[in-house]
Amino acid sequence: MDSPKALNSLSSAAGENVMDTGSTQETVASEAAPRIPLDIRDHGSVGDAYETIGTPLVENAKMSARKVNVYYGDKQAITDVSLDIGRNEVIAMIGPSGCGKSTFLRTLNRMNDIIPICRVEGEFSLDGEDIYGSGQDTVLLRARVGMVFQKPNPFPKSIYENVAYGPRIHGLAHNRAEMDEIVENSLRRASLFEEVKDSLDKPGTGLSGGQQQRLCIARAIAVSPEVILMDEPCSALDPIATARIEELIDELKENYTIAIVTHSMQQAARVSQRTAYFHLGKLIEVGETKQIFTMPRHELTENYITGRFG
Amino acid sequence: MNSTNEPRRSTSSAAIQASLKRRYARERRFQWYGRLAVLTGFVFLFILLADIVSKGYPAFTQQYIMVEVDFDKEQLGLAADATAEQIADADYLGLIKRSLREMFPEVTSRSEKKQLYRLVSMGAEYQLRDMVMDDPGLLGQTREIWLQAHSEAGSYLKGQVAADSDQADRKVKDQQVLWLDQLRAAGRTESRFNTTFFTAGDSREPEMAGIKVALYGSFFTLLVTFFIAFPIGVSAAVYLEEFAPRNRLTDLIEININNLAAVPSIVFGLLGLAVFINFFELPRSAPLVGGIVLSLMTLPTIIITSRAAIQSVSPSIREAALGVGASKLQTVFHHVLPVAMPGILTGSIIGMAQALGESAPLLMIGMVAFIMDAPTGITDPATVLPVQIYLWADSPERGFTEKTSAAIMVLMGFLIVMNALAIYLRKRFELK
Repeated sequence: MDSPKALNSLSSAAGENVMDTGSTQETVASEAAPRIPLDIRDHGSVGDAYETIGTPLVENAKMSARKVNVYYGDKQAITDVSLDIGRNEVIAMIGPSGCGKSTFLRTLNRMNDIIPICRVEGEFSLDGEDIYGSGQDTVLLRARVGMVFQKPNPFPKSIYENVAYGPRIHGLAHNRAEMDEIVENSLRRASLFEEVKDSLDKPGTGLSGGQQQRLCIARAIAVSPEVILMDEPCSALDPIATARIEELIDELKENYTIAIVTHSMQQAARVSQRTAYFHLGKLIEVGETKQIFTMPRHELTENYITGRFG
Repeated sequence: MNSTNEPRRSTSSAAIQASLKRRYARERRFQWYGRLAVLTGFVFLFILLADIVSKGYPAFTQQYIMVEVDFDKEQLGLAADATAEQIADADYLGLIKRSLREMFPEVTSRSEKKQLYRLVSMGAEYQLRDMVMDDPGLLGQTREIWLQAHSEAGSYLKGQVAADSDQADRKVKDQQVLWLDQLRAAGRTESRFNTTFFTAGDSREPEMAGIKVALYGSFFTLLVTFFIAFPIGVSAAVYLEEFAPRNRLTDLIEININNLAAVPSIVFGLLGLAVFINFFELPRSAPLVGGIVLSLMTLPTIIITSRAAIQSVSPSIREAALGVGASKLQTVFHHVLPVAMPGILTGSIIGMAQALGESAPLLMIGMVAFIMDAPTGITDPATVLPVQIYLWADSPERGFTEKTSAAIMVLMGFLIVMNALAIYLRKRFELK
């Protein structure tokens, strides 16, 4: 859960607190007390058969997902989500904790396969190819759809080895010189090369948090993926490191399609072209980032971006 | 707000203050319990080590007596053209006896002579035989030779027996003490480092007994144990932890592995006897069978600790590897196992140390035999250090007391070397 205090202080300037969600929490509060936050479990007007507001589907999509349902055991984590990820765009996925945005992200390169109790339904495609089809190999898929995780997780090996590992197992370099080039290019594109060029043989775990995360990005782009999935890549970083990663995302979108899950709405607003708002496993609204943050059409989206959920 | 809270805060802080003293006292008390526990442990350990070392260190020296030996061909019954076989069969004991009689001509009675002959080791005749076999030119010459002392005479020379104690309580008789004192005064006794202890197998005579067979036996047995238990244990742990589906069958296997770790070791010995020796007809008393039995005993330990080590590897490493497109097998072998290796090695070394100290199952498969020749391979009969210690501890001769403690010291030295190796390997796997 998000810290309620932080959200409250964020939204304290939002002015009048109008409880328009039909919740039962509309109580007579004392004047001195702060506004009572809305209950996150409130579905508002969203029923089981709902429709996503906005433009979840785009033309010429890089990846598309249709009617996705994901279950962890008996618990349904994602309900009937359909979403396209456009070519060379950055799409941000926002929503309160437990809303299924990370789960959705991980279905896109089948990372959920490693969780035994997880069951995925729906149709997924990458450039029109079925991701979950019997002919699809997860190893190849994950080479094409790379991933950067919430916590920086470099291998406990040298910086060079961290980047070289992917190309090596896929046989992308035929000799040492080619490998050196791949490593240098990847580190450069992750804007880390200048900082580590003299210590490529030092362990990657010895870098600072922000550097580690850029190393993980370098590692992901070393295998030349087409799509990069980022699961809250800045949640463990300070604002300066975060700013560098955001700059990097901006540069990377020239060549890659990026889907990023984030808890920071400012970050979503800064880096993405489109934004999808998830709520309790449902995709509530998708649209141009500018439109989502200035004119949200669904009241849940509005409540979330104004920080009304506690 | 503050004004209403003020008095309550002060009363609560007074209450906290009052309880603080008690809480700190409790902490101090607990620390003292801890120190006491550590101290007690140390004292017992020190007593144990001091006892073993003080009893065992004399075993590393050996006493020699210089005797003038006349390699008389007639006495030996050898002709000038004696064959090697004849030389080997000659009566060297008679030679020694005559030399001793010549050194102490005053000895005439039968019982006194018997005591005199007991000054030198039973092995001395073989010492002479080997000398002559090496250099037949010795025949007909007279040489002064250091002969190994009998273990009882040796224990007097080492100062383990007081000359003024009651004769009935000791094996070295007054007459012998007198002779030994004379020899010492004449500079004809010497104390040397006991090489026999490391180069000989077991013997009925303490001064001729050595640890070599047991040392080799332990080494070969552990080699077999390691090469069976480590790969199988780690593979089983990797499969169960990373690949096996979670279902009733794997649960059952897990429970049984845990139970197996608690099975008394002698049961494994019985199993080894019934299966490997009686059914598969593998050689009795051999390190091969001992190693197999001990690896069965060690397997559960290695599997359990390896699984724990693999489990404790952060899932983020797995995700990272899978995320760049590593296959499951690559993820496990490139990333999970190297990180888990220190833990796996720790578990294995605990298992191996257990195996090194184990004697009961080896008694069942015949590794308790009296063996004089060191094994040259895993199928030669051998014994192991703990069994050797048990055998010597059981022997009535005084000379074996110090051998027992010395063998324990060797066993502990073996253990320390093994642990040091494991720590070195672990450090190499541990990355900063």
